[in-house]
Parts: sequence; C-alpha cells; structure tokens
Amino acid sequence: MAIRFICHEPHPRPNYPCGLNTDPMKQIALYGKGGIGKSTTAANLSAALAEEGLDILQIGCDPKHDSTRMLVHGTWIPTVLDLIRERGDANITVDDVVYRGFAGVRCVEAGGPEPGIGCAGRGIIATFQLLERLDALKGDVIVYDVLGDVVCGGFAMPMREGYAREIYLVTSGELMSIYAANNIARAIARLSRRARSRCSLGGVICNAKNIEGEAELVEEFARRINSRMIAYIPRSRIVQVAELQKQTVIEYAPESEQAGVYRDLARLVYGNDTTSIPTPMEMDEIESFALEFVQV
Amino acid sequence: MRSNPSPSSSSRFEGCTLTGALSVATEVRDAVCVIHGPAGCTHHNFSLLHATSLSNDRPALPRLLSTSLVESDIIFGGEDALETALERALALSPASIFVLSTCIVETIGDDIAAVCAKDRGVPVIPIPTAGFLGGVFETGVKNALAAVASLAPPSSERTLSANLIGEKNLEYGVDENAAEVSRLLKRLGLPVNLRFVRGIRTHDLDRLGAAAVNILREPALGPIGEELKRRYGTPYIESFPTGLGGTCRFLEEVGRACGIDTPAAVEEERAYQAAMLERFDDIAGSRIRFQSPHPILRGDPEVEAICTECADALSLTIDPEGVAIPSPYPPPVGTGGIGRMLHRWRVLIRDRRRG
Repeated sequence: MAIRFICHEPHPRPNYPCGLNTDPMKQIALYGKGGIGKSTTAANLSAALAEEGLDILQIGCDPKHDSTRMLVHGTWIPTVLDLIRERGDANITVDDVVYRGFAGVRCVEAGGPEPGIGCAGRGIIATFQLLERLDALKGDVIVYDVLGDVVCGGFAMPMREGYAREIYLVTSGELMSIYAANNIARAIARLSRRARSRCSLGGVICNAKNIEGEAELVEEFARRINSRMIAYIPRSRIVQVAELQKQTVIEYAPESEQAGVYRDLARLVYGNDTTSIPTPMEMDEIESFALEFVQV
Repeated sequence: MRSNPSPSSSSRFEGCTLTGALSVATEVRDAVCVIHGPAGCTHHNFSLLHATSLSNDRPALPRLLSTSLVESDIIFGGEDALETALERALALSPASIFVLSTCIVETIGDDIAAVCAKDRGVPVIPIPTAGFLGGVFETGVKNALAAVASLAPPSSERTLSANLIGEKNLEYGVDENAAEVSRLLKRLGLPVNLRFVRGIRTHDLDRLGAAAVNILREPALGPIGEELKRRYGTPYIESFPTGLGGTCRFLEEVGRACGIDTPAAVEEERAYQAAMLERFDDIAGSRIRFQSPHPILRGDPEVEAICTECADALSLTIDPEGVAIPSPYPPPVGTGGIGRMLHRWRVLIRDRRRG
C-alpha cells in the first residue's frame, strides 16, 4: 500500500480565528490506551524540548490530572476545573492555572469530576474555552496529553481546528493497545473530513513492553494505517526509578541512555513536518493482523 | 401556526415531555415540583403554566423550583445541586415533592432515583421527563400520572363513583369537558370521586382506588387505565364521550362497567340532544366543507365521523364550494361539546351569508 503523506510548509502560519495565536507554534497531542505511558512520554518529551531552550506548554486533559506531575516534582497543581468550580470562570487569571515545572515547562491540568459522575468531556471543552479566553495557549510547542479513549466529542477537543495539528499515537505491541490506537486513528480520520480541519497523524510512538518482535509489529501497524513508527522507546527500569523520585528521566538521570532516547524523540517530533490522514483497520483486518504476528 | 389561533386549538400533543409532566404534577396543589436542569427549563414552563391558568380564569402560580444547573454542575455532576434544591423544597412544607428530569441531566447520568430515595419525611417522587429519549408531551403526561398514582395507598373501599383520569389540563375547555362528563355520569347516579389529576391535594389520592369506574380522557392513556385496573381492579372506559351516538354509547358502557341499568338515561340524553340540535334549525340545509385545523395535523377519521354525523343531523350538505369549517381538535366532548362546536359553525355560516 502506498503511503500518502501530507507535507506542511516548513513554517506554517495558521490562519486561526478570533485572534488566536498566530505564531508558528507547534501543537501536538498524544493519544493512546490508558496506562500505556502517554504522560511519562509527554513529560519527558516536554522536558527534553525545554532543555533546548524552547517555551513549552503541557496540558493534561484527563480527570486524573497527573499528566504534568513529574515535571513539578510530584505536587498536585490546582486544576482548571476545580478553580472554575470554586471561583467561577470570571475570576481566574493565567497565573492561577499555569505552573512552571522543570526547565520552565508551563504545566496545566484540566482536571474533571470524580469517577462515576458528571461529564468529563464537557470539562475538557470548558477548559479549552477558558485557556483561549486567558490567551494562555502560546509558546513554541504545546503538548496535549489526552486520556486513553476518545469516548465522546469532548476528548476530541484537542484535535479540533485551532489546536493540535499533529497527533501521535502511543502504543506498545500488545493487541489491546494497538486496538485502542486504531480507534483513535478512526477519530482522526473522521475529524479530518471536516471543513478546514488541520488535524492529522504525526506518527506512532512505540512505548515498548519488551514483547518479542514488538518494533516490527508496531512498525507494520503504523504502515497499515498509512503512518509510520516515528520512535521506539525501549522499556527501562530507570523510568520507574525516576517516577518514584517524582521526576522525569531527563531531570533524574540526564546522562542515562533512556534520557537520550527521549531527547531523540523530542528532536524527531519537533522536526517532523510530515503527517498523514490515517486509514484505520477494520475489525476483521485487525484480528488477522494479530494472527500474523502473535505466536500462539 | 394558524393565522387566527384560538384558545380551543391550544393542543400540545407533540411538545416537551417536561411540560406534559408538569401539566399533571402541578395539579397536586400542595406538592412542590423540583425541575433538575438549567433554570431556563423551569422558567419556560412556569410562564406557560401561568399563562394557561390565566387564560382559563384560574390564576395560580405553579410551585416550581429549579436546580438551576450551570456548566460546572454538568461537568462535576448535578446531584449535589439536587440535594440543595430538595432542602429548599422541604422548607416550603409540601405534602409531596416531584423531581422532574431534563435532557442534560439524563445525558450525564445523574442518579435522580438514588437522591430521591433518601428519607426526608415527605414522599419525593422522581418523574423521568428527558424529551430527547423519544418522548413527547403525552409521554410526560403518562409518566407523571404513573408517578402521582404511586402516592396512593394500595387499596381503598369501593364506592359507586367514577374517577376522571388524565384530563388535558392545558386545553381551553378542560373544566367544561369535566362538567359535561360529570353531567352524563349524574344520569347514571354516579358522582365524580377524584379528578386524577386536577386541582387536588396529596391526601385526596387516598381515594384513587375507591371509584367503581375510571374514565380515561383519551385512548392513549390505556396503559394508565391498565395499571389502575391491575392495582385496584377498577374497570376503565377508554375515552371521554365524543359524538351524538358516541355519547349515548358512553352511557351504556359506563352502565355496563358499574352494573347500572341504562335505557332510561340513554333515552333522556337522546331527548336532550334533540333539543340541543333544534336550537341550530336556522343553519339547516347550509353548504359546508371541512378543513384541517392545522397544516401539520392530518385528518382524524374519528373527528371526521363526528362532523359528518352532526352535518347529517342538521341536514347540512357537504360541498367543496361550501363554507370552510375547521375540524375540531381534539374532538368535542359529549353533547355539550357538540353544542359549542355547532355554535362556531353557525358563526362561520352567518359570516358567509353576510358576505
């Protein structure tokens, strides 16, 4: 199957509506199955980019509000939605919601309801509206770290016009994780059909679980959905150790091999100007794909 | 809308489910209705109920309370707001509280039944009224009737009397229609036991099971008739009487259900109808044609049959060139309803004669 990629001009100047940021700012979003390592990857990616002197904004879009925690040494920063609930959205400033973390990364947590009540998706929409009103969506790179499943329109918010233009799917070689990634590819394909849509797939990041042939499997999956594996992150104990110290690997073990892996990822993502409209697999295709790769 | 709307055409068959339910629940006069949703849902219905009660010369402020949800309640869940509103409702010392849902709280899955289940000293009854789930005005009416019925005791001593079930509280002629049915029942010696639900108090529901027969307002209320029959063994008549012959048949049906002899009552009613028709002698022989009362309403065969029956009784001729007569909607109730309908026909026929 031929891979069709969209090539952006090197410094695209998006024509954002209503006075939104007009800088050649890079906005990316990480999606993937719950527990696959999106937040760890996002935090290390942000840390590595910030080390290079870039102005980074990382926005956690998950009621669990733990996306940026390793960047702020394990503290729980107030969430946008808690502040809205306590004060009403008229009495909130940028300083109330944006917190500086490692290497100056600016951190925001959307937050949301307790599990089992309310509407977390609407919470993401409210968060984005407030951040826009506060003119907080700026910097060299914005990293949106979104909860595992795009269960409703609210969680597709970062993919809408004016926000992330590049989506990165984080997956391991495990089937359930591939399956979730394929579902998100469906959301991207659907949204890309909308008029003026700028959202497309930047690539697949393999966050390895140390399964045999994992890189090949994820590479093939990426190829089949009309994308490519942009980085392979090997499993490393240092990630867990750093997490116990409530730090990113970049901060805790800057000389480690794993830190080098995240810096490579950061360079690749920052320099990436090739994206594609994904062609998600059908259910039966994904099942036969599994049979090809998994030794029973 | 009609270019010349009249109060009698204020049917709200396909309206909001919440409005349908409130048209019933607010008629329990010592209850408070808590509407769990944005303030606008309550305001809109308050205005409508108030305006309708004014136009029926029955000024009454409906006792509505809103949980007044805003976006953060939707995001974090509205159950706390419902708790707070219930406290406010209790402060009004109601005999019962109804909690009505709206589209948005059903969308986010607030567990209203669980909040209502807490013991608060007065019954707190949830009524599901989210319209987007496929309901219309009538669904709300049925859900509310079932909810109000749940306040009635499981049994009560039978008396020779009748209940009126599910009167259309927002229709212009609601009290005239009830009076007409009550007049007919009197011919059989049956008093009205309970208007379920119109202008009652919570403890009046103790009598719900006491009637010998339930008279449903219209056949669509069949499930309510069945439920009351299951609970109390009360037989039901599926509709208020319509048409000249239909009104006599109604007397026979009610008589059968209650074991009352009817020939004398039917004979009296026939004579009453003949006297009523005589008053319209002046339009006998006129040419008329029937037209739909509203472009979106299709012809109702039952209504057409009643119109044709009346036209025959007055020797009116149906003619495409005749005076345009809007078909009534809903059909007129009893002999009295037909009398009022013929009065409107006469006005239209005279207008045409004057040119």
